[in-house]
Amino acid sequence: MPDNGRKADTVTLTIDGREVTVPKGTSLLHAAEGLGVEVPHYCYHPGLSAPAQCRICLVEVEGAPKLQPSCVTMAEDGQVVHTESPSAVRMRKGVLEFYLVNHPLDCPICDMSGECMLQDYVFEEGREKGRSREPKRVFGRDDFGGDVLFYGDRCVMCTRCVRFMDEVARDPRLTVVERGSRAVIDTFFEHGLEGASYAGNIVDICPVGALVSKDFLHKARAWDLDHTESICPGCSQGCNIELHTRDNLVQRLKPRENQEVNGHWMCDYGRANYEWMNHPGRLEEPEVGRGNDRRPADWQEALASLFQRLSDAGGAGVRIVGSPLASNEALAGLAALGGEVGSIEACVFRSPRAPDEDPLPGFPTLVRRRDLAPNVDGAGILGFERVGGDDAAGGLREVAGHDGIILVLGDELRDQSEDFGAAASLFVYLGTADSPAARNADFVLPVTTFAEEEGSFVNVLGRVQRFRQGLQAPGYARPAWLVLGALVGALRGDGTPASAADAFERMAEAHAAFAGLTWEAIGTSGTRLEAAHA
Amino acid sequence: MAISVKVMRRPEPGRTSYMRATLKGMSLTFKHLVRLKKVTLEYPEDQPDLHPRWRGTHRMEVHADGRPKCVACGLCPTVCPANCIRLVGGEDDQGNRYPIVYEIDEFRCIFCGMCQEVCPVEAIHVGQHFENAEYTRDRFVYDLDRLMEQDHPTTLLWDPSDPRSE
Repeated sequence: MPDNGRKADTVTLTIDGREVTVPKGTSLLHAAEGLGVEVPHYCYHPGLSAPAQCRICLVEVEGAPKLQPSCVTMAEDGQVVHTESPSAVRMRKGVLEFYLVNHPLDCPICDMSGECMLQDYVFEEGREKGRSREPKRVFGRDDFGGDVLFYGDRCVMCTRCVRFMDEVARDPRLTVVERGSRAVIDTFFEHGLEGASYAGNIVDICPVGALVSKDFLHKARAWDLDHTESICPGCSQGCNIELHTRDNLVQRLKPRENQEVNGHWMCDYGRANYEWMNHPGRLEEPEVGRGNDRRPADWQEALASLFQRLSDAGGAGVRIVGSPLASNEALAGLAALGGEVGSIEACVFRSPRAPDEDPLPGFPTLVRRRDLAPNVDGAGILGFERVGGDDAAGGLREVAGHDGIILVLGDELRDQSEDFGAAASLFVYLGTADSPAARNADFVLPVTTFAEEEGSFVNVLGRVQRFRQGLQAPGYARPAWLVLGALVGALRGDGTPASAADAFERMAEAHAAFAGLTWEAIGTSGTRLEAAHA
Repeated sequence: MAISVKVMRRPEPGRTSYMRATLKGMSLTFKHLVRLKKVTLEYPEDQPDLHPRWRGTHRMEVHADGRPKCVACGLCPTVCPANCIRLVGGEDDQGNRYPIVYEIDEFRCIFCGMCQEVCPVEAIHVGQHFENAEYTRDRFVYDLDRLMEQDHPTTLLWDPSDPRSE
């Protein structure tokens, strides 16, 4: 029975001499992609409808009277498709020549240069020289509002941006005005895209340099950027992103496809929220001693004397402040350290919360969540409790005056006074930046941000997702999972975790929610925690 | 071992005379003394003729209004095998892309001329220039103003008398 069902649901066809079986309703373009054959396309985007108007994905289908647009022609049983037949190649060459009639060919000053589909296709199969002798029409550039700048001359009229605003953002602010060679994308009103919270995506989906980001304008060349798979730290949605870095600085964030979380998209809030990763003024070396006795130390000395203090603590009450910006591994290490040295009396974190959510109507899974930190849910699973207000302030009165052990990770304690932890028998502050409230800390240990370490977050949908290291840490800053893991390992006598994967495994042993998961199984697109237990 | 004496015979007087070799050597010396062809170039009074493709320190071409021709496309730092070009692009008040920072470390440069070859707007050139002495090392990092001030002739990408390098 399942066999019959499967047979009815799939079709087998031949593309470029190779047979492929695909589900019914697959476009020829997709079927070819599965074979590793890239059919050029502009107007087609997997996240949008396909109007078949760019005319560059035409392929030859045996038996059809004309070339067929592969983005809307569905695969059928027994079809024989040629993407590289002389007629298809000649047609593409002709279409590309038409695209270049009015294209300014200003690649040297175009921000898209290096990742431009027009550049790629013309380089691959375009004519060496255009035959058009007419002057090119000139539109100049237009500020669309928000972060988007429009260079009308470069546009190939694929209308992906119009369709995105229409179908996905459901906020139709763009349209095509005029016809023929005078056709151009425009906004309806003066305010343009101002205030549209997902408009940054049209820059990503623009196949050419017509829509560019103002923030990224002239900042770096596409080929200079290193891409690192990461997770957006902007909110608890945990959009899959890539960090684009150059000169050890994050230059921009781009969404990475994950249909379970963010599709092809990400919000403008998350996209703009990267400057802090490049922020100077970081803690760069461990320091020991309270107040005026504070002095720099090396890791060996700092950890050895901290280990001594922890061993002598003798079951004192431990109050812990974590951070929803810290990875699961770091938070688990923090909780494990607290449990190892004494009895945990409080285990809290503070997180900023937006007044409302901001959904993407055309892709309901993607919502800019209220919690504006990536690992709120991971912290919850690991036993941390949310305190304080929506501005991530307050709620630490019980910790501030505690006379036992205080462990702080990642929370900069901006709202706390200099008396914070004055009464504590031992106060350890692990952070990225120094804070006036860390004045009474016996140990100030520099740790890395998520961009400088490997680790995992749990998003609001209960997905555990990994991020990779995109930047080199400043000075002697080390990942928190390593620092805490070394201390816990020394106290337990089972050694330091060798890698983030090792730290994750240790966490999975201690916390049932992660049991059975491995670093490899999470992979690049994450796994649902419930699914792992089903 | 018994000691014995080996008797060496002196060669004939005609074969030991140094006169013949001396006269031969001196004749060569005097020949050069009176020869008129000069090999030494009396630099700096006389300047050498540089080949049209001779590659020396850089020069940035400028527009008539004094702006650099460079559009900060980033191809020269990309192609540079010695990694000696530092470029930060930006936008001027007329909306033109231009180099905010353009520096060439002439000490790192290997004068391959690939920056000139790759430049889409014929802005950066290597030049026919070799008199680069400075008092400090840091003066060898040429910034944009310095590159624009240079007025020596630029290198040709091919020899006009032999355009196909035959």
